[in-house]
Amino acid sequence: MNSSAFKVKFSPQSKPFSDVIGLEIGAGLTQGVPAVRLRKKDGKTELVAVGFLPLQDSLPLRFEEAPTPVPSWSLPKAFQAQYAALAVTSELALLRHAAGTDEEATDNKQLAYRTTTRSIAPDLPPLTARIPEFQARWAAGLLPEGRAPTACSLQVSSAAAINTFVTSSRFESLSGTAVVLFVFPQYTSLVAFHDFRLVLYREHNIGHSHIRDAISTHMRIDPSLTDSILEDTFIDSTPMIEPVLRTLYRQVEMSYDYLARRRNCQTQNFLICGLSSGLKYWTSIFNHTMNRTLAPFQPFDGIDVAPRATILVEDLTAATPLLMTALGAAQAVVEDT
Amino acid sequence: MKSPLHLDLLKEEERLSSSPIRLRVLLPLITTFFLLCALLVWGLFEIQVLGKRKLMANVENAVKSVTPVHAAVLASRDQEKEMRAGVQQLSLYKHARNVFGPTLSIIAAQVPTNIQFTEMRIFPPQTASEPSRSVNPPPAPTNTLERVSLRIAGRTKGSRASESVNDLMAALQTAAFTNVFRSVSIPKGAFRLDTSRNQSALTANESLLFEITCECEPRRFE
Repeated sequence: MNSSAFKVKFSPQSKPFSDVIGLEIGAGLTQGVPAVRLRKKDGKTELVAVGFLPLQDSLPLRFEEAPTPVPSWSLPKAFQAQYAALAVTSELALLRHAAGTDEEATDNKQLAYRTTTRSIAPDLPPLTARIPEFQARWAAGLLPEGRAPTACSLQVSSAAAINTFVTSSRFESLSGTAVVLFVFPQYTSLVAFHDFRLVLYREHNIGHSHIRDAISTHMRIDPSLTDSILEDTFIDSTPMIEPVLRTLYRQVEMSYDYLARRRNCQTQNFLICGLSSGLKYWTSIFNHTMNRTLAPFQPFDGIDVAPRATILVEDLTAATPLLMTALGAAQAVVEDT
Repeated sequence: MKSPLHLDLLKEEERLSSSPIRLRVLLPLITTFFLLCALLVWGLFEIQVLGKRKLMANVENAVKSVTPVHAAVLASRDQEKEMRAGVQQLSLYKHARNVFGPTLSIIAAQVPTNIQFTEMRIFPPQTASEPSRSVNPPPAPTNTLERVSLRIAGRTKGSRASESVNDLMAALQTAAFTNVFRSVSIPKGAFRLDTSRNQSALTANESLLFEITCECEPRRFE
């Protein structure tokens, strides 16, 4: 056996990633850490386990806060996949088209970042994902060696979420240009695809937490009650939501115009993903503003559930927005091999 | 067309193995194990060597303590061998002894009246190297056989001088002497006139010198 073969045989990840758990770090959810375990069997991806795990998820926000040593996670047996794909949700992490080396160099001087770049197409600026080094190191140290799972991928949550759409059967069925809105608590990312190719990525600082805040402020209720207000058929929340969403949709409209004029892409499909409540307001206001239809996209649609799958959430559809990033992180690895 | 957007930020050194058996742990363990084995083997070997050294020291001490006795025993054995060889030599000499006494006692009766013996000698055995004999003669004959010869010298006179000598020779070859003398002969030139006497009387009473060599039965050192 030569040295290279020996190295491959004993390398930590010598086999394809067929059993991966996606974990979202830094989500700050009261339910726990979003976890989705996927397994690829006979070319088909199936859901093995999904839920929120009670793990210490205190992603440090500043370098000085990075605790030493990093907590060691031990996952329940049903979630002990061979490998883990980690998606970091952080205000300091970002995903964007690379604007230029000068800007990145300036940023790097202020804080050490871990950066990776993906060239999407020759005529498009590449996508750059960045995480502060101390956060990346902290996240990578959560899963120790010698115990399943161990980290095989570290992603930015916004990039991870995109994979829920890219790897879906819905994506394959759409031709032409499609724009997908991934709604996160603090921001909404707009991702445009043209002929199955990512052509535009934008982030807008309006998320569903802003909607909740608007309702909470107007109705002077606790933010935790806003979901029930949004789903209540007797209360019309449009006047409270519309100013917020109209701002967002103006941004979307600008992106739409950019695609049409600069990229010569006429968008036929608009999809939205990541909403646990208030979808009807988002679609109706979109329709009113853009004169287009905004269709919902369910990331878990089309994924087979394993016969003995562990589902630790009561309503998977309702919990989908919270699990979207973890699912996308796992899909990025499973479908990449 | 499922081509995920996998922007991986994990460093190579952060990709760890989930297997509890890790090469970086296993290698030091195996190395330590083999080192311990080697140490154990070396220890056992060292113990054996120590044991052998101790045994050797004991044996050396024992040898030292026994050496004088051993030397004494060896000396005694040498002495015993020497004595045994002496005894053996003596027995050989005893066996090789030629008894001349009875034979010599009857010679006188066979000697004619006109013969006078001047010498009767048994010569010592001749060895191969004459010089060594004078320096350091061997303590015993080295051959199993030793030639013995008797030389009889004498003089005779009268008209029947030569006949008398011949009679004497014939007498010495009779059965009475053949058990001792194997052959009797007069060496060449050994029968001659005695010129040392009065020359004037030479014609009247011619005196002749003679020598008779009697080859005896060899001494057998067996």
